[in-house]
Amino acid sequence: MEIAETLKKKGVDVAIPIFEETVEWAGAINSVLLDNPRLLGQSMLLRDKSLMKRRAQLGGIRVGIFEEAHERDDVIRFLKRVNQTLLKLDGDPNDPIHLKAFDKAGCLGHRIIRTPDEVDLIPDDEFPMLMESHLDGWEFAVEAWVHNGRICFLNISEYVTLGYSVFVPATPELEKYRPEITRQVEKLIKTFDIEFGFIHPEYFVTSDGEMYFGEVAYRPPGFKVFELLERTYGFNAYHALVLAFDPKTTDEEIDAFFPKEVVDATGHAGCFGVYPRRRVVSRLSVPIETEDHDYFESHELTAPQAEKVTKRTAFGNHWGLLYFFGEDPYTLRDLLKRQEELDFYI
Amino acid sequence: MDHAIQSLADAGDFGKQVKLPRVMDSLRRVLLLPGGCAAVRERAERLETAGLFLGTDWAQPQILIPALSTGSLRSANTDTMVLEAVSDLRLLAVAKGDYQHALVSAEQAADHLSQVLAVNLSLLFSPPTEAEREQQGRMAQVSRELLHYLVAEVGYEKVLENLVDEIWRILRQRPIQVDGVKRMITQIAVARANPDVDLGASGLGADRLISSLYGTTEGCREDPGVEIYRTRLDSMDDSALQYEATGFARSMHDTGLVSPYHAVLLRFLLTRGEYLLGEAMGLSSTGRDSLLCYHELVRSLIEQAVHVETAQCVYGLTLLLERGILYQPPVAPALWRQLALRLSPHSRQRLTQVFGPTPDPRAWLLSGMLSVLGLPLGIGQGDNPTCQSARALSMWAYNDPDYLLQTLVWAARDDEIVMHFEGQPISSRETADTESTALQHDLDPVSLLVVPHLDRIYAEMGRRCVGRDGDPHRWINPEFHGWWSGRGFRINVDVATGQLTDIDEFLRHFYAGYHPFYNGNQPVIHPQPAGIAVTDSAARFVGWHAITVLRVSLDPQDVMRVYFYNPNNDSGQDWGDGVVVGTAGHGERFGEASLPFEQFASRLYIFHFDPLEPGELAAVERAELDRVIGYLRRSWGADRMPVESGATEQD
Repeated sequence: MEIAETLKKKGVDVAIPIFEETVEWAGAINSVLLDNPRLLGQSMLLRDKSLMKRRAQLGGIRVGIFEEAHERDDVIRFLKRVNQTLLKLDGDPNDPIHLKAFDKAGCLGHRIIRTPDEVDLIPDDEFPMLMESHLDGWEFAVEAWVHNGRICFLNISEYVTLGYSVFVPATPELEKYRPEITRQVEKLIKTFDIEFGFIHPEYFVTSDGEMYFGEVAYRPPGFKVFELLERTYGFNAYHALVLAFDPKTTDEEIDAFFPKEVVDATGHAGCFGVYPRRRVVSRLSVPIETEDHDYFESHELTAPQAEKVTKRTAFGNHWGLLYFFGEDPYTLRDLLKRQEELDFYI
Repeated sequence: MDHAIQSLADAGDFGKQVKLPRVMDSLRRVLLLPGGCAAVRERAERLETAGLFLGTDWAQPQILIPALSTGSLRSANTDTMVLEAVSDLRLLAVAKGDYQHALVSAEQAADHLSQVLAVNLSLLFSPPTEAEREQQGRMAQVSRELLHYLVAEVGYEKVLENLVDEIWRILRQRPIQVDGVKRMITQIAVARANPDVDLGASGLGADRLISSLYGTTEGCREDPGVEIYRTRLDSMDDSALQYEATGFARSMHDTGLVSPYHAVLLRFLLTRGEYLLGEAMGLSSTGRDSLLCYHELVRSLIEQAVHVETAQCVYGLTLLLERGILYQPPVAPALWRQLALRLSPHSRQRLTQVFGPTPDPRAWLLSGMLSVLGLPLGIGQGDNPTCQSARALSMWAYNDPDYLLQTLVWAARDDEIVMHFEGQPISSRETADTESTALQHDLDPVSLLVVPHLDRIYAEMGRRCVGRDGDPHRWINPEFHGWWSGRGFRINVDVATGQLTDIDEFLRHFYAGYHPFYNGNQPVIHPQPAGIAVTDSAARFVGWHAITVLRVSLDPQDVMRVYFYNPNNDSGQDWGDGVVVGTAGHGERFGEASLPFEQFASRLYIFHFDPLEPGELAAVERAELDRVIGYLRRSWGADRMPVESGATEQD
């Protein structure tokens, strides 16, 4: 409250969340600045993965099966129930379930469980968490800038391998779903009462073309997608964030600012998150094949701080990103895939 | 690259960090391509305005030091190398008039570049070494491409001139370690032999340097090789030998370098009389007297220490004789002990590892000892971060050679040195830790064996002072260096806060202790340890550094100067704000650094004095004090000034 009052006195119009942890702060501040108490509640919805799913379900959006877990027994029960639903017999390999801590960003705290034994490995501090059934399908993410309830720019980010690589704009195969995706995002905006700002939802599209909602964040995406957008479209995505959040921005300003999706892209920009593949590493060594590729642009890898590689605790906490840019989305996709087989730390 | 530069230029100051990696990576890739240097040079101005150098030293090209480019261009950190390369290409654009720079003129840029080329000459003439390839990979080729491009634009003529000046500047400080200098001279010799390289008229100045190593006298004019030279000596009569002897002696005293042929001659002359030996070392009456008094000892030293590989110690031996220290009763017997000394296996191994198998480790150690005793101010700390140990060695060689010889025996024979601190013994063996055992390849033989022990003892003394108020050097310095270091101690920095305190009083006390006009015209008697705040060429604080105050006296221009020893390998340093440490031309003796008294006082933060002396504060004129404080305020004291009040009340 004190922050909000101070900011108001200084003439601040709106607070923009940049990181996951600041979403409800911004919501709280905005409910004061914009005199709309519901904004706090809205931000809580967007922070709590369980509330989020329920709200989506209420809005008629397709989601997988989910439940909350407060202790390990809940997880085991859910795992059994899901596989029972799938008509698995004893001895059949289980379908996995996904566990996500309620309030962690992106891939942090995300783990996949197939057997009851694995449940013991979950640390106490990750409870309570959301459990979801596994959806077989093509996962992708969307970045949408919203102003006055209208989508001003919608980008589809294609994952090559979740947690490793992403590129924008997506391949024509994925872009052909754009009309359907736009409808889904509009539904989402309506369901969550989003008037302005920026959302970053994740979806699965199954083999029969059905869209399933994964989750949505009210903040810029990880993996430097903003950088990629700037690289290919030339607009500063943070600048766009400011415009979309600012209640004083006019529709004309919005239209003048944003380029046309896909057609205005100068190429495809992608990045790859590097994880050391060896258990013990001594130095950074970018493979010549990567460094010399026409599409390779830059990297932000640093020399290793320690020789022992700690085990990956979650998706997404990579050691640094490589950036690529090029004309052909398929070359780029294969290139990103290829990086998974290379050693950047030896 | 153009796209990356543009997005860097568009970013606000706080966002530049995010845009930098792409610019750096594109630069690196462009530099790897043929014609890359030219492409970067064309874009130099845009790169700089976009903010490539922001927050680095390269942002102020006027403070860059050419000698440091050696490290940058060989850096394993690609970004450092790329920045240096871009900066040099930018200066080329400035030098050629394509780019009007606010901070450097075309002449300054051209001058800087020719110096950069001079100190990196080896990159022009030799392929990457194994170490460079290992550390830099393909980037090792980039630095070479860069220098070839630069030299094609700047021309060899200017480069060589600078290089020769640089070598003479270093040689005038008479360092013990001359391997680097020899390498540079060899590079010049190679360049001169290459018909493709047009040296112009400037090559002439290099002649004397090359001949001092490879063709000093009539007998070895065409660099015939030591074997042939040795056989030629057999057929020479006394007057021919005399001619050879004076030739070598003149060259050695002129440059401070000793030719390997000189060593051959000296060994040969052992079979002749003392007269020719003295001539070959160019001895004055003092040196000749020492030689005659101790001829057997000197002959043994030559016999054991002087070899083709260790030729440089001839200069040390010569100066040792000239210093007359053999007349101090313990020194001659201590040298006999050294001649018969058995080295510990550990010492032998260390010496062999660094200096190679021939001659044997004992000869290397003897030769190193002769150099240290002859040139106490020529000791350099190498890459070793603890300047105190190098300073102690130098101080002992200068003031107490007997103690140095004793310490060397302990280290070389026993692998242990014991010093006492406040009545308690400290053994270097007991406090051995893993960190100080790393092998240093750039030290002289004596430092190589003794410094690790001294470092440990020094660190242990520091540990025993933990918890005491104030700076531990108050207690460590006198116990570590010797009884002659004053027990009185004065510091002008509050250790807890880093703020300056009692500046006026500190300075008046220093004047009273050291300035001949304020202390009854009393010259400095013993070398005194002192601490200075080193600043870089932009007068920014770099760190605390240990030096030795040797003399304070009027220079030939009647300026009162402090002459001091700096354990750094090159004393000629620019400390910014017009404070440039002199090494020659102001009455400095070989190896001494000097500054006008006021400028020295402005960088001083610790000095010692004899507490039994009256210690009245000097009545230094306000104007003079203000000048000193001005230098202080404009450099390392800028953000350490105490609150104004106390200082003015005392007047």
